[in-house]
Amino acid sequence: MILSLIILYTLTLIYLSIADRFRNHATILAIQGFLLFGIAIARMHEFHPVELSFIIVETLIFKGVVIPAILMHVINKTKINRIHSASSQFGALTMSIIALVASCTITYYMADDRTDMIFFGVSLYALLSGLILIVMRKRIFAHLAGFLVIENGVFLFSMAIGVEFPLLINIAIMIDILISILILGMFLRRMNDDIHTDEADALTSIKD
Amino acid sequence: MEMLVYIILSLLLAVAPFFVRTERGTRLIAGAFLLVQVAAIALTIIFGRVDTVMLAIFRADTIAVVFHILMTLVLGFTLLHSSSYLRAEGVSTNSYKTYYTLLMLLAVAISCVYYSDNVAMTWVFLEATTICSAGIIYHREFKQSLEATWKYIFVCSTGIAMAYLGILLLSTVAQHGALDYASIKAVIAEGNPLYLKVAFLLIVVGYSCKMEIFPLYTVGVDANYAAPAPASAFISTALVNAGFISIYRIYSLYAAAGEVFVWARHLLILIGILSLAVGAMFLRRTNNYKRFLSYSTVENMGIVAIGMGIGGVALWAAVFHVICHTLVKSSMFYQVGIMRHIYDSYSINRVGNYMNINRVGAIGFILGTLVLLAFPPSPLFVSEVMIFSEIVSVGSWWLLGVMLILMCVVIYSIWSRTLRLGYHSNQDELHLSEVNRRLSYSAAVLLLVAIVLGIWQPEILKEAIDNIVNIG
Repeated sequence: MILSLIILYTLTLIYLSIADRFRNHATILAIQGFLLFGIAIARMHEFHPVELSFIIVETLIFKGVVIPAILMHVINKTKINRIHSASSQFGALTMSIIALVASCTITYYMADDRTDMIFFGVSLYALLSGLILIVMRKRIFAHLAGFLVIENGVFLFSMAIGVEFPLLINIAIMIDILISILILGMFLRRMNDDIHTDEADALTSIKD
Repeated sequence: MEMLVYIILSLLLAVAPFFVRTERGTRLIAGAFLLVQVAAIALTIIFGRVDTVMLAIFRADTIAVVFHILMTLVLGFTLLHSSSYLRAEGVSTNSYKTYYTLLMLLAVAISCVYYSDNVAMTWVFLEATTICSAGIIYHREFKQSLEATWKYIFVCSTGIAMAYLGILLLSTVAQHGALDYASIKAVIAEGNPLYLKVAFLLIVVGYSCKMEIFPLYTVGVDANYAAPAPASAFISTALVNAGFISIYRIYSLYAAAGEVFVWARHLLILIGILSLAVGAMFLRRTNNYKRFLSYSTVENMGIVAIGMGIGGVALWAAVFHVICHTLVKSSMFYQVGIMRHIYDSYSINRVGNYMNINRVGAIGFILGTLVLLAFPPSPLFVSEVMIFSEIVSVGSWWLLGVMLILMCVVIYSIWSRTLRLGYHSNQDELHLSEVNRRLSYSAAVLLLVAIVLGIWQPEILKEAIDNIVNIG
């Protein structure tokens, strides 16, 4: 069960690297939220109502519904639709595959006996995918999506190494991330309205 | 309990400006906020609460109390200078209230970082500082401030997400979910050395956006450039100190990690040299006084990182350097804020003749520059000589050589720009007023305190720093 969910999660990352419509980015991030919910539930050893509630809030509601809704709202308001036409899908796919191979190699050398190798490798791949999205794409919306992919990767990573923080700390972390995303979405809209750009290349007015 | 009262009271006062109508009311609330900070520090010291754990996630240890005192001092001057700065800018009452609210919220988040005794909660409060700073950076609402704000939130959030990964890796050594620094330190030697190294790298890289060191220093420089000058003084000192404390607590924890600690110190030396190099290079290039001071922060924090990397006496000097840098740099930013009142510009190439236009401000700026460049009796001279002597005693002559070369570039760049401001002909329109001189005097107070520390370090301060660097 867990393995199939992990494979599906990996496929979403590969698809994300070649997706050229921002609506698809938002949809994939929603799917990742649901997959993370499935993975977290499948890994629960005992039934804890509080822990279960938190998982539902963090994965299903927060990652699966709220964040994709914010992204869709930004897409609708800014009318941004696709990644930059000059971006190469082939190049992005190649980079993504290289990241996958690199993740497997690093996992092989780094993971110890307390670490779940598959989780570790996929979460590392998620982190690299997020970074690739930020570095290779020119539109800042793609950067926001890359940041969210990294956040999902971090969530998976915490499961890989079996670290469980106290509930209050988890809630504080979740609220922090939610507010950051809300503010990023707000400023993305403002940039579109005020300086009529959604391209990272245009953000060069501050320099020495 | 005391901490809870402090946080609730501070938060209530921070949002209170939205419930008053006038700017005067906002200023009174800000004054009350400042009094709460002073009372919190005084009660902690008077009732011997130093080193007590509060609410399970806070500890009023020496480093927290010392830096809270510094933050309160800088905040007081920031509130004073902000008022005239905002009046001169002609902002609306709503904008005025928002600015004060965000500044106070930022102060609360920063003080929580100082007192945090939990690896994960330090991360949470640092992320909270990003959110509060964003509004302040965007306050002037021009194209560059929008760009700076976006970059600041985005890079800080991504960087801090990386730091979170490091915290997760570090937490693998924690037993029974205990994430306080002392518990992790007790068991860190049993951790996987590779995990610990990667964790340290990720945490330092992530937090570098707050401490304004290599590699994520750029967002801090942009933020200081876009924010109102008094707020830049606060960001460039109190917030940078929050980054320093976050890294310092991790560093102290690694002191028990054996050979990993040696690796971590080498990493800090490398980051320090790169920060110093970046600072030296951009101090030559920049044409804006606020960016100029920000790169000077990068350079000084680079020296601090090298001091931490060398250890021993250099560690003592690094902490002393941060304390004195706070006083000097905030004073310099206030002076630059007053310059903007007069010239309506931060452009290095256009403004000049400051000695004849505002003599008090010019003397304050030139004196500040000399102190910043570590000319005696600057306290930075004391700390830098201590760092150099420790470098010599460990035999790292190459490091000393590299530092001296880079610092020569820094001295040339800073001094030539300062002379240009003081004596070069001015090309901008002037907006002189009587208030500028009074503000120039008040900004010089912090500088004088720093100079006194350069000549005489009180026993209580020495003991406090001894206590801070006792990481055994």
